[in-house]
Formats: sequence, structure tokens, C-alpha cells
Amino acid sequence: MRLRFAAPLLFAVLAGCDTPPADTVTVVNQLSQQMLADYQHWASASAALANSTQALCQQGGSLTASQQSWREAFNAWAALQPALIGPLAEQNRSWQVQFWPDKKNLVGRQVKMLLDANPSIDQAQLDKSSVVLQGLSAAEYLLFDQSIDLSQTEQQARYCGLLLAIGGHQTQLSQDMLSAWQGAQGFAATLSNTPNQRFAEPQESLAELLRTQVSSLELMKKKLGTAIGRLSKGIAQPYQAEAWRADASLDSLRASLASLQTLWGQAQQVGLRDLVNDAALRERIEHQHAQTHDTFAAFTSGLQSLLSNSDDQQRLDKAYLELAELQRLYEKDLARALNIQMGFNAHDGD
Amino acid sequence: MNCTRLAGASLLAISIALAGCGQEEPAKPAAQAAAPATTDAPAATVAKPTSAEQAAVVSHYADLALAVFEDALTTGKALQASIDALLAEPTQANLEAARSAWIAARKPYMQTEVFRFGNAVVDDWEGQLNAWPLDEGLIDYVAGDYQHALGNPGASANIIANAKLTMGDQTLDLATLTPELLAELNELGGSEANVATGYHAIEFLLWGQDLNGTNPGAGNRQASDFVQGEGCTNGFCDRRAAYLKAVTTLLITDLEYMVGQWQADNADNYRATLLSEAPEQGLRKMLFGMGSLSLGELAGERMKVALEANSTEDEHDCFSDNTHNSHFYNAKGVRNVYLGEYTRADGNVVKGASLSDLVKAANADADSKLQAELAASEAALQKLVDSANNGTHFDQLIAADNTAGNALVTGAINALVAQTSGIEAAAAAIGITELNPDTADHQF
Repeated sequence: MRLRFAAPLLFAVLAGCDTPPADTVTVVNQLSQQMLADYQHWASASAALANSTQALCQQGGSLTASQQSWREAFNAWAALQPALIGPLAEQNRSWQVQFWPDKKNLVGRQVKMLLDANPSIDQAQLDKSSVVLQGLSAAEYLLFDQSIDLSQTEQQARYCGLLLAIGGHQTQLSQDMLSAWQGAQGFAATLSNTPNQRFAEPQESLAELLRTQVSSLELMKKKLGTAIGRLSKGIAQPYQAEAWRADASLDSLRASLASLQTLWGQAQQVGLRDLVNDAALRERIEHQHAQTHDTFAAFTSGLQSLLSNSDDQQRLDKAYLELAELQRLYEKDLARALNIQMGFNAHDGD
Repeated sequence: MNCTRLAGASLLAISIALAGCGQEEPAKPAAQAAAPATTDAPAATVAKPTSAEQAAVVSHYADLALAVFEDALTTGKALQASIDALLAEPTQANLEAARSAWIAARKPYMQTEVFRFGNAVVDDWEGQLNAWPLDEGLIDYVAGDYQHALGNPGASANIIANAKLTMGDQTLDLATLTPELLAELNELGGSEANVATGYHAIEFLLWGQDLNGTNPGAGNRQASDFVQGEGCTNGFCDRRAAYLKAVTTLLITDLEYMVGQWQADNADNYRATLLSEAPEQGLRKMLFGMGSLSLGELAGERMKVALEANSTEDEHDCFSDNTHNSHFYNAKGVRNVYLGEYTRADGNVVKGASLSDLVKAANADADSKLQAELAASEAALQKLVDSANNGTHFDQLIAADNTAGNALVTGAINALVAQTSGIEAAAAAIGITELNPDTADHQF
């Protein structure tokens, strides 16, 4: 039990000259601030989406602009995946942003059922509805589904009420979450300023941060794996992909990975890497991050078209294996190096 | 697909683990309680049992598995007999009897599921028996507003009505419905919603679609769907009967295989493999099964998704409205494994060396805490059973406007989340630090 107190000391001795020594407090503090910035970015992107849908529905704005705002909001949300700890991870709030997997097209069906029953939906009513309807998944359906064309006035009459309500709901939710992270009592401070009711010491904060990151990697694996048929005899399942209507699956994974890599750190930026004494392990993870990044960066088209080409399918398989290796390094080697035990998570049994 | 893979998480990953935290103040995240390296628990609370003690517990675990799978087989055979009676004489009374037999067969089967996670032999096998949710239009006629997985080429194949099935450039010969053919049709086209076999295929054939949404009522198939010749309703009664017979035969064959895997004195079965491993690995499998079923599968896939999305499509036993029992006996299975105790279908009790014994010797508080949490989960799930017995079933409890019903389901979910944290603490108490048997180092 006492070993952890020795760790920083040991680290100071072993760390090479290339890396400034950092202790757990410094790293947790840096990660909290980075994640807070990610929450800020998400809140701005959500507000921008709401604005652009208002322009579309009320001021003759373009559908393309709203679609682009949706993409930015979705990427900002994807970047939050390794930071889904604290308020947004509680009370199923994250489901209010994205509903996936959607095995039986609940998004499309619930939108139809809602609008048939209640054509004049407003935000107050939406707040009380199914989470399936409240978030970016439903907004994606409205903005991108082939059966809907929101550049047409008569379609706007049916769908704009819901779209505006979603914009309002997302703006409110992301602002609430940002507020919950900010300030002396905010979650960033809860992570950094231990002991407190939630975390007894910096190592506990660190453990929870790592578990969140490992969980995000498992989810990334699942998102790609489901689409490329890892769970279905190798037969691709394009409609089971995340955000297939907007073909935003790969952008989402790239945003999540980039965010994770930032939290890992680099030469001039403190991150988890600065707590890893074992230079060989640090090098392996660094290398795996770079390789995963490059593999995903090399895809120049969206997932949907890649899924229909067998050469591309092999590249996607390779990308999956890169993700899996990164996840294994985090869950096993990094956890052990940081003296952290992984508990159960909802992906167990997959 | 099997439920294992369906179990996969999703959004729920993130939400579930901390589901309790928001509502009840400082509840610590489940994982935390178990992290010996990061807490100040006194060293005395971690005490590794001896290898012999561990081995006794793992050996009894195998006995328990054998008893539960044997009961699944026995009740499965009773189901088969009642289905034979129904097909011989398709009366409403015989249909009711077959339905009752199906519900009785689910009781032990759901208690086997705790053996699934961690034991690949079960996990790789169970998809053919318990996959859900299914696109039932693959099997038989469905209502006009039938909803299925997008892009599923088999979603409306209606095997019963079609002696041939064309998919892409391939034509399948479905003229004779055999157990082997149905097994091949499972996961047709790679879609996990194409469930041709198992309990839920049988359930669909006995009940039909539940067209009541979140309103009262289950499926309402008529016995005349099985009448041969004149009086046959909805057509193809001969093929419907053949399907039901074949799918039931397959279920029995599958259950027999699994019983064989757990029998003693067989050098080549899974039990022999399990008992030849380091006992600590056996304990890890036990704990992993308990935790994975409690959190990701039962609390998550089977309850939270249905509740949060108000989705009856994500209800487990959706045709029969037997979901409350399935959930209850899933949790019962977790408790069985911890206590080393199982009440058999005939009322006899199997009891022996248990995880609880080991944990109690190492840390009595961790044991009594987990025992209390397991009891609390059972009580919370009993409320779902009571509600169903009083006429309000799971699919009504999850309706968007049913505040009291939602609260009942949430209560059960929270109890399971708390129990998962107790399982982690119990694991830590006996020195099992890495919980996943697939990734844990096998050096002891």
C-alpha cells in the first residue's frame, strides 16, 4: 500500500533527461484542464449547431451549413469520449447526446412516432421524452436521412420543431455540464484538489481517469468492430455503424483518438506519459499512438464507401487491430505501470 | 449473435458504471471500491486463500454448473414433450401448457447465464440458444408495421412461408426444416438480428408478436396456427409445426452438449480443463461471470437500454412478457455462484464450498456487505416480479410516462450496480486483482 509514495521518488531517479519529471498531482491537474477545454469546445459547438438550425428553419439559412455545424458538434462530442467522467457520465446524460448502437432504427421510428403524436413538439416536451430523441443522433436523422430534405419548406414544417428543440436541449445540456466542470466546486477541481468526498488522493483521481480512457478505447473498438463485421461473421454491417447517415464514423474515431493522444502527452505537454517510469513501455505506447493515428489518417473517404471494397475492408481490419493493441496497452501495461486496478465495466463480456 | 456480443456496450458503457452516483450523493464509482493499490485498506483485509481452499470452491462451482445445466435440460425436455402434445393436438389448452413449460424452462436456463462470461465454452455456445432481440419476420408472418434492423436482408424472409430463399446471387433450399438447417440460418447474412434458433424463436412460435407496445398484453398467437389441413390459420401450418419441432430438437441437443461439458470423470470436457487450471484462474472466472452479468449485461443491455429508450424492442422475453422472471433468475444465478448454493428444479438444494467462505475468512465485512447487496438486488428484482404478477409487466414499467414503473426498474439497476462494486471488493479481499480471465496474466 505504501509503495505509491515511493513511486515519484523512484521516477525522479529513473526518468531520462528528455522528460521533465512530473508527479501525479501535476498530471491530474493538466488532464483536468485539458478535459475542461474539451467541454468548453463541446458547449460552443452545441450552441453553434442550435444557431445554425435556427438560421435554417427561421431565416432561410442553408441545409449544408447546418449539416456542417452538426459535424462539428459531433466531433466535439467524440473528442469528449476519453473525458466521460463525472457529471456527464452520470444519470445517463451521455445517452441524451448520442444513441448508439441503434440496432433496430429506434431513432427513425421514435422520431416518426413522436411527430405523428405531437406535431408541435417544443423543448420542454422534448426534455421529458425518450433519450433517443434528444440528441445528435436524432438531429443527424433530421439533417441527413435520405427520406428528409430540410431545404424544403414543407418538410421544415414537419421537422423543424423537433430540430430546434434538440438544438436547445443540447445547448442546455452542454452548458450545464461545462458549469459542472468549472469553478472551485467543479469537477475539474474535484479531480485536482484531493482529498475530497469523491477522491481521497491524487492516485484515485488518476485511476478513475485511466479507467475512463480504457473504457473509451473499448467503445471505439466496438464502434469500428460492429461496422466492419467483427461480430457478424466478417460481413460488414453499414447500418450498424455509428453516425452512418452522416458517414461520420471515421471522423468520430479520429477525434476520440486525438483527444486520447493529447491526454497521453508529448514532449512539451504533460500527460500520462510523464508518470510512466519504464522508458520501453512509454516508447511502445507512444509508437502505438502514432501508428494508430497514421492508420486512421490514411483513410481519405468515409466508412460507408470503404465497407463496400474488399481492399479497404482489409485496411479497416488493420485499423481495428491497431485500436485493439492500443487498448490492450492501456488496460494492461499502463494500468500496471501506474499501479491501478481495472474494475468491471459495461463492455465486459463483449 | 449472440447475446454476448449484443451485450456489448455502447453508450451504456459509460452511463451504467456510475448510474447510481448522480442520484445518491457520494456513492463512489463501482471500480474504486476494489482498487487495493489506491486505497488505504489495511493489509489484513487481503488474504489469499490456500490453493486447496481455492480448488474446492472451483470444483463445487463446476458441480453447481452441472446441476443448473441438467435442470435446463430436464425442463427443456418437458417443454419438448408439451410441444409434441401441442403439435399432435393443437388446442388452446395445449398451447397454454406449452407456454407454461417454456416459462418453467427459462427458470433454470437464466440461472446458467452467470457461467457464460469467463467460460468460453458457454459463451461460444449460447448464441444459438438465447440470442435476442430478433427480427422475427425471418421466421414467420408479422404485422404490417413490423420493425426490423436496417439493412437486414433476412428481416422478412419468412422461412415458414418459403421453401426457397434468395439472397443476393444465392438461393437457399428451405424445403425440409431440420435442426441443422435452422442452425445454419442463424445469423443469416451476418445480421445478429437473424435469430432462427433458441428459446426466443420458440417463444415467438408459441406467443407470436406482442403488438401491445407499452400497453398491457403479450403475444396472442392462436393454437390454430398449428392445425394441419382445414382450420389452419395464417397458412403454412405444416411448415410452422415442422419449424417448431426442429427448433426444439436443436435446443435439446445443445443443452445435452453443455451438460456433457460439466460432467465429472471425463478427461476431455470443459470441466476437466477448468479444474486443471490454476485455482486462482477458476476464481477469476467465477467473479468475472458474476460482475459481467450484473453490470454490463443485466443492468445494462437488458434493463437500462430498454428503460432509457422506452424501447420494448429491447425487452428480453418480449413475446411472452416473461422478462421479469428472466431478470430475477439472472440475478439469482449470480447469488448462487457467490454462496455456492442452488435450489434445483425438484426442490433439492446443492450446497458446498463457496466464494463467500473464502471472502469471509479474508475479510468478513466484504463478505457481509456483498451478501447484503446480493439480497438487496434480489429484493429489488422481486418487485418487478410482483408488479408483473399484479398485471403490470416490464414492458409497461418502461413506458415514458410511467414514473413509478421507471423508478422500480431504476431501483433494480442501481442495486445491481452496487452489487458489482461489492463483487470487486470481494475479489480484492481474496487477492484477485485482475478480473478479466482473458487478459489477466496466467502466472501464479
